[in-house]
Amino acid sequence: MNKRPFLGWFASPSILIAFGITASFLAIVQYSLRAHVPGSLDPGGFTLENFTTLLKAVYGQAFLNTVLLCFWTTVFTLLIGYPLAYAMIRAKSLALRSAILLISLTPLFLGEIVRTYSWMIVLGNRGFLNASLIQLDLIDRPIDFMFTMTGVVIALVHFTLPIVVVMLAAALSHIDRNLERAATSLGAGRVRCFLTVTLPLSIPGIVAATSTSFAWTFSAFATPQMIGGGKVQTISTLVYQVGFASFNFPLAASLSLVGLLFTIAVLAIFNTGIRRLEQMGAH
Amino acid sequence: MSTDPPADGPSRTLGKHAVKIDGVSKSFGKTVALEPVWLKIRRGEFLTLLGPSGCGKTTILNLIAGFLEADKGEIFIDDELVTQVPPHQREIGIVFQNYALFPHMSVTQNVAYGLRTRRISKAETETRVREALDLVKLQDFADRRPKQLSGGQQQRVALARALVIRPRVLLLDEPFSALDRNLRTAMQVELKEIQSRLGLTTVFVTHDQTEALSMSERIAVMSRGSIRQIGTPTEIYDHPQNRFVSTFVGDANLFSADLLRKTAQGARLGVGGTTLDLDTYQDDLPDPGPVTLFVRPEQCTLTAPDQPGAITATVALSVYQGSHAELHLDCPASEDGRVMLRVPCGEAQDAGTKVGLALPQRGPAIYAKEGGPE
Ligand SMILES: Nc1ncnc2c1ncn2[C@@H]1O[C@H](COP(=O)(O)OP(=O)(O)O)[C@@H](O)[C@H]1O
Ligand SMILES: [Mg+2]
Repeated sequence: MNKRPFLGWFASPSILIAFGITASFLAIVQYSLRAHVPGSLDPGGFTLENFTTLLKAVYGQAFLNTVLLCFWTTVFTLLIGYPLAYAMIRAKSLALRSAILLISLTPLFLGEIVRTYSWMIVLGNRGFLNASLIQLDLIDRPIDFMFTMTGVVIALVHFTLPIVVVMLAAALSHIDRNLERAATSLGAGRVRCFLTVTLPLSIPGIVAATSTSFAWTFSAFATPQMIGGGKVQTISTLVYQVGFASFNFPLAASLSLVGLLFTIAVLAIFNTGIRRLEQMGAH
Repeated sequence: MSTDPPADGPSRTLGKHAVKIDGVSKSFGKTVALEPVWLKIRRGEFLTLLGPSGCGKTTILNLIAGFLEADKGEIFIDDELVTQVPPHQREIGIVFQNYALFPHMSVTQNVAYGLRTRRISKAETETRVREALDLVKLQDFADRRPKQLSGGQQQRVALARALVIRPRVLLLDEPFSALDRNLRTAMQVELKEIQSRLGLTTVFVTHDQTEALSMSERIAVMSRGSIRQIGTPTEIYDHPQNRFVSTFVGDANLFSADLLRKTAQGARLGVGGTTLDLDTYQDDLPDPGPVTLFVRPEQCTLTAPDQPGAITATVALSVYQGSHAELHLDCPASEDGRVMLRVPCGEAQDAGTKVGLALPQRGPAIYAKEGGPE
């Protein structure tokens, strides 16, 4: 009777995962509504106090930092990732294509801690970047990258690049080459052809890459924690600090929950905006 | 060579040949896509590249358009050497097999694209786009998006977009292969009308021999990266110069024959137990020995089985075709054991009937045996 006899078997792991996620999510919701008992790991009675605590400036600043980090990381990742993806799809030589793929994917294989430590070495006051800039006489004094927004963004761009390059490359590879050839035959040079055909047709890919990059950066923890060094607080680093330095699980839970809702809201607003734009374009 | 007033833009010298391909070859790694090819296309001519898939037709178009660089040889457009000219400066109109309409632009924007790149004034652009849409009967669809149009309408937009820039040459790569049969016939007529009205030099690519025969002024038949014969449709159909052309264009009966000796008019052959003195149109004949004799179905006539000079055969199958019947004969003299000919429906015979087959003196051709030198 069943046309796809293995479907149940294939689906069962996902049911298990869904169950796990739902359970932990409910646990977080439950924790977020409980009072913190100082000195105890067990929560107290039900309360909404955790959420009112979140209205304090320090948490607001963390939200703002997180959004700024996401924004700048996404902007720079797109600016670097688009040309990389384009070259990867269009390069004639297979060796060049493979090299680009390899270079853009390595951050995935490095592991978060190794990658972030490498960046600490590069970004330090006596690190590779400052040493090079001073050697080249471009600057007199080292620029502060460590424990600054700039440093965190640089490292996060590296962290986000692989996923963005892969998504943009997928989008670009679906653009029919004949469209560019048609534009060229109609008199469009390379730049015009890119601006009027390739770029507009890759917008869906850019949109997808932007949302993903945003969510990806939003959840980053080790990079802002180690390179920000407590000076650049984000929602994730704050959750860690509240939960595992102060052992205030209920507050950490409510912070996580608000962070999650916040991400969903930001992505929803973004997607609605894009759909509006598309509808305007269609008429 | 004459100098006509320019249609628009800088003045051009108009030579006799709209396109000249001079010993151009192209390989992709180890794959030879095109052997060195020589081809001259006259101004205003409708030339078709006909050949099976993979024979290098698209490669020739891409070389003319400038999307590919030739390994060797030169390409001239209007007697101007364009081998080094980038594609966007070649002023060539192209219609792609999949139309390649810009999906994010309206019909009008698609057609206007080539005028905007030329920085033509807004007023003139409007007029010319309207004219082009009139030409392909799409006035009422100007504001639609490509995906809101049928296949045939998209085809017309592609044509209008290529024509509106007044190209020096129009290239079409299997433009009708995605259309159903009725629409294809209608579009063939329409394209042919527009082409002759504008006197537009056109290179048309197809693998469909019927389409090639009905539309072209000249046909270049290609196989495996080289041109096997160039000529008018009549020349190609009536006087194929080699075995490939004879079988690719139209139906062919191929007999195993023995070339006994060459004569003043042609050759004396032994075929199916009789001898045949052939008047040939061919430039070269193979050497005496085993050869292939090529005869069109309509050149064979049925006779009584015992008629002197006739080849014996047995009716295997008769297929009713409406206007006529196709008679398939078992014939030992044929290379594949079968011969096909067309007869009026009333003269169809039952399977198993013994018949004779008479071959004419004029019309058939002699080719070297398959696998031997051609
Ligand atoms: N970009 C390419 N890379 C490698 N081989 C190609 C390329 N384009 C065409 N070829 C090869 O060249 C030959 C001719 O191709 P093509 O001109 O497209 O044939 P047609 O249009 O007659 O079907 C084929 O064998 C094809 O596989
Ligand atoms: Mg082709």
